[in-house]
Amino acid sequence: MALVSRRPHSEPVWMRTLFIGASVAFVGLLILLPVISVFTEAFRKGFSFYLASISDPLAMSALRLTLITAAVTLAANLVFGLAASWLIAKFSFPGRNVLLSLIDLPFAVSPVISGMVFVLLFGAQGWFGGPLARHGMQIIFATPGVILATIFVTFPFIARELIPLMQEQGAEEEEAAVLLGANGWQTFWRITVPNIRWALVYGVVLANARAMGEFGAVSVVSGHIRGRTNTLPLHVEILYNEYNFSAAFAVASLLALLALVTLIAKAALEWRIRAEERPAVMEHALEEVV
Amino acid sequence: MAIDARHVSKSFANYVALRDVDLHVEQSELIALLGPSGSGKTTLLRIIAGLDTPDPNPATAVVVDGQDILDRRASERRVGFVFQHYALFRHMTVFENIAFGLRVRPRKLRPREPELRRRVNELLDLIQLGRWSTHYPSQLSGGQRQRVALARALAIEPSVLLLDEPFGALDAKVRQELRRWLRSLHAKIAVTSVLVTHDQEEALEVADRVVIMNEGRIEQAGTPDEVFHNPASEFVVTFLGNVNLFHGRVDAGRPVLSPNAHGQTARVFVRPHELEIERYQSNGASVAARIQRIQSAGPIVRVELASDHTNPITVEMTHERYHDLTIKTGETVFVKVRDARVFAAKI
Repeated sequence: MALVSRRPHSEPVWMRTLFIGASVAFVGLLILLPVISVFTEAFRKGFSFYLASISDPLAMSALRLTLITAAVTLAANLVFGLAASWLIAKFSFPGRNVLLSLIDLPFAVSPVISGMVFVLLFGAQGWFGGPLARHGMQIIFATPGVILATIFVTFPFIARELIPLMQEQGAEEEEAAVLLGANGWQTFWRITVPNIRWALVYGVVLANARAMGEFGAVSVVSGHIRGRTNTLPLHVEILYNEYNFSAAFAVASLLALLALVTLIAKAALEWRIRAEERPAVMEHALEEVV
Repeated sequence: MAIDARHVSKSFANYVALRDVDLHVEQSELIALLGPSGSGKTTLLRIIAGLDTPDPNPATAVVVDGQDILDRRASERRVGFVFQHYALFRHMTVFENIAFGLRVRPRKLRPREPELRRRVNELLDLIQLGRWSTHYPSQLSGGQRQRVALARALAIEPSVLLLDEPFGALDAKVRQELRRWLRSLHAKIAVTSVLVTHDQEEALEVADRVVIMNEGRIEQAGTPDEVFHNPASEFVVTFLGNVNLFHGRVDAGRPVLSPNAHGQTARVFVRPHELEIERYQSNGASVAARIQRIQSAGPIVRVELASDHTNPITVEMTHERYHDLTIKTGETVFVKVRDARVFAAKI
């Protein structure tokens, strides 16, 4: 159907070639080529060197810190993102627009400045740094600082995905659920969450990618202590600055692989959710045919 | 169960939606809240449901079945509510949508699975959608969705049923069908129902009683016959169907359109079918007018006329009368009033 109706409006061949060619060239040059070059550079000195580079204790500790940071960040932002979106999309209250702007703040501010803010707050000379240090708690140049800075930078991703969708969906389904006798908890888990699961998955993937790849803010608060406060991106930079290119790219490829795992996890989840919905759709399609 | 809403007021940040409204609905009655948008009818419905709270006032009460439910949460009021845009749960099948109200009950009150299936299937039969039970709302037509929404509302055996413009999003033909279906359904289950609508035809056709609202107040309440034939105010006349407005005079209790008539000035409202066209002036009460347009496709013939002395006039007549008259566009004829509603002139 779509094919038949579309043909009369079809663009001329040269125009189609131009647009498709430009898109392919753009994606190839700016996205595909860099990814390929990461892997070729990583394997330049052979597979054993690659293995040695990524199994290096310093690289492993950077990997561990990156994974811990991403996990904590995601958990925190999931809770915050859901709560904030729910609040902003379904209710109107004084200060709603202020909250909306605050959520966007991390996008507007340079990551380096975000890092500096935490140094100012929690550093040895900072507002809270002194009192906390007296209780034996170190934030800056330690794992908590890295996590705090990452949470701050990735703060808007999930909320920003959810708010427009939740606003578009409105509150009617929730109202219907409440009128049918559902309590707040039931309404949230049975109505709200299922309706936003796609946006939620997408927001989590984006936030995760950024959490694992964040450089600027983390660079300021981490102090680059090898084996302790280095995340993977920081470790890559150090190796690169030491002219250890192959090792740098090997560790970089590890980051690329993590991204790949994230994408696969997302695809698998999408596939599972679709599979749940499929039977009825199939049946409907059959009925249409008959 | 009877509904009694007393002294309900509601103001929002920049306008007043309800001004001290009293509404009474008899047990098993189906009433229509009719009014233009912004008249407060939906707000009143949402307050009864518990989705909105009225302005605080100790005299305010919403009594259902003898109990003031104003302090109860919406989830505890056991009110069936049907939304204009259905508000079906999009990720649930038709079956699960209807079953939702039963599944969220506390464990002790929740029916067992076989009992639940039996009740949902009963409702599916009632809305004649049994074979669609495994479909998702997006796979249904608008009319089907609204029937599912109704079944879902009925599943909790509501004390009252509230319908917020339930047919507003449907096309004319489906609307007609669903109206009749709702009427017969109501005859079968007799649950006290309040239907909000801005469509006067719908209200007059479906409801036992019509409550006409305007600017946060109730203008008139009565049976469809009462409000149509004995409108209490200018607003009610103009809102219930087409009317012609004449700034005429009343002579010995009868409205006269002619410009040189004597008597008290008044605003005269005449429905198009209460006007008569004649070829020759039979007495002084009629007014000369030129035929602008004749619309004869439909059950009645509608004639639009222009006159030097009045606003544009619309007259409706039977096809029979139209053939007898043999009038044409452009001709000058005389218009006479058979019946009218007179309201004293406002200065």
